[in-house]
Amino acid sequence: MDNLSVKNDSETKENKKNLFSTNTIAKIAILSAVATVLMLLKTPIFLIPGFYKLDLSEVPVLLGAFSMGPVAGILIEAMKTLLNLAIDGTVTAGIGELSNFLVGCSFVVPAAIIYRREKTRKNAVKGLIVGIIVNTVFAAVMNFYILLPVYAMAFSWPLDKIIQMGTAINPYITNLTSFILFATIPFNLLKSLLSSVITFLIYKKLSGVLHR
Amino acid sequence: MLKNITLGQYIPGNSIIHRADPRTKIIWTVFLMITLFAASNIYGYVMMIAVVGIILLVSDVPISYTLRGLKPLFVILIITAAINIFTYPGDTELITFGILRITLEGVMQAIFIAIRLSLMVIIGSILTLTTTPISLTDGLETLMAPLKKIKVPVHEMAMMMSIALRFIPTLLEETDRIIKAQSSRGADFDTGNFLEKAKSFIPVLIPLFVSAFKRAEELATAMESRCYRGDINRTRLKELTYTKDDRKISIFLSIFLVVFILSKVYM
Repeated sequence: MDNLSVKNDSETKENKKNLFSTNTIAKIAILSAVATVLMLLKTPIFLIPGFYKLDLSEVPVLLGAFSMGPVAGILIEAMKTLLNLAIDGTVTAGIGELSNFLVGCSFVVPAAIIYRREKTRKNAVKGLIVGIIVNTVFAAVMNFYILLPVYAMAFSWPLDKIIQMGTAINPYITNLTSFILFATIPFNLLKSLLSSVITFLIYKKLSGVLHR
Repeated sequence: MLKNITLGQYIPGNSIIHRADPRTKIIWTVFLMITLFAASNIYGYVMMIAVVGIILLVSDVPISYTLRGLKPLFVILIITAAINIFTYPGDTELITFGILRITLEGVMQAIFIAIRLSLMVIIGSILTLTTTPISLTDGLETLMAPLKKIKVPVHEMAMMMSIALRFIPTLLEETDRIIKAQSSRGADFDTGNFLEKAKSFIPVLIPLFVSAFKRAEELATAMESRCYRGDINRTRLKELTYTKDDRKISIFLSIFLVVFILSKVYM
């Protein structure tokens, strides 16, 4: 037993040249696989236009970012996006996927940075709240300037048709700004809030297995 | 529900497209997608269809497989076509009933969009149908290698990618099994508002994560016992080489690209 631990020690020293330990690589990889699987289980929600889909794929990303740091979170998010691209294909030449990746990062990175400064329950809540706020604001900006215009171009749906689809469900939606206000923002708030609540509920139960 | 997901849809074959270096295929896939976005008139679309058709023929992939990739797109395609037919501003009226008017321009636009979306998906699926996920990852790794200079962990990412690709089918099966196991204990995933639905997923998520982490741990042990130490001095079973096939593909598609750009400038 002693021998083994000595050997492990020298191995970790050797591994310092690499950015990640083998263990971290395996964990990040499997978490991305879980995220991809959860992404395939997405369901549309009916109070906002149909192309916003709700899924729990942010939960593994958050778990990874909380236990291994924000860089791991970014990597899992990137892996998830790439794998989803390989499964679903793209209709926007990757622009939609890139902005999804950035929006996801805007949620996970602030949350992880705050939580990892001091790992307490209170800090976890604080981190998640900041994450939700940053994510919602960032998503609104991205949707306004990039996502919606690009989707409109890809499908040649005039932007006001997308907005009309929103109006059909929610009469307050009249233009792009109110679309963002009444569809994009509630959706992102809901999605990140849901992921946060679930992560908060399961993180403690899993941290034993996670940090073995 | 979880069974009909195609992943790693690679179809073995020995066509020129199958044999080509993954780097060549990735680069040209990106170029073709950009060209597709740039196509704006009938000449552009005809040329795109011709080129994608030729690639499809040469690649020896059964057409049915390519069309299968279009299935999830079908609903979007119909809706998009309908929206375009009825709303695109145009002057040449074909039919009018009430407030609905169908114009020639609208119909053309609908056809163009349908072609563009389908071709986008087909181009992507030609890549995944003729390239194994592993060689795709290898290709991406070598293409991204320059990013190592700015400390992007390219090798590690490629490694994670191959691991994830290997484990997605396993985890899908696992998820399916856990859902069934919890259902047989009386868990209910289908009723209630979406918050209740989400909460009902916690008994699925916890076993899923526990088993995933167990797999990760076993995998890390297996890798370490085979002396995996990252990028340094790592050798490959299959070295990527640029061959005659790649040259042929690149010359053919370069000619297409030049013709396409010329037609865009002069027509």
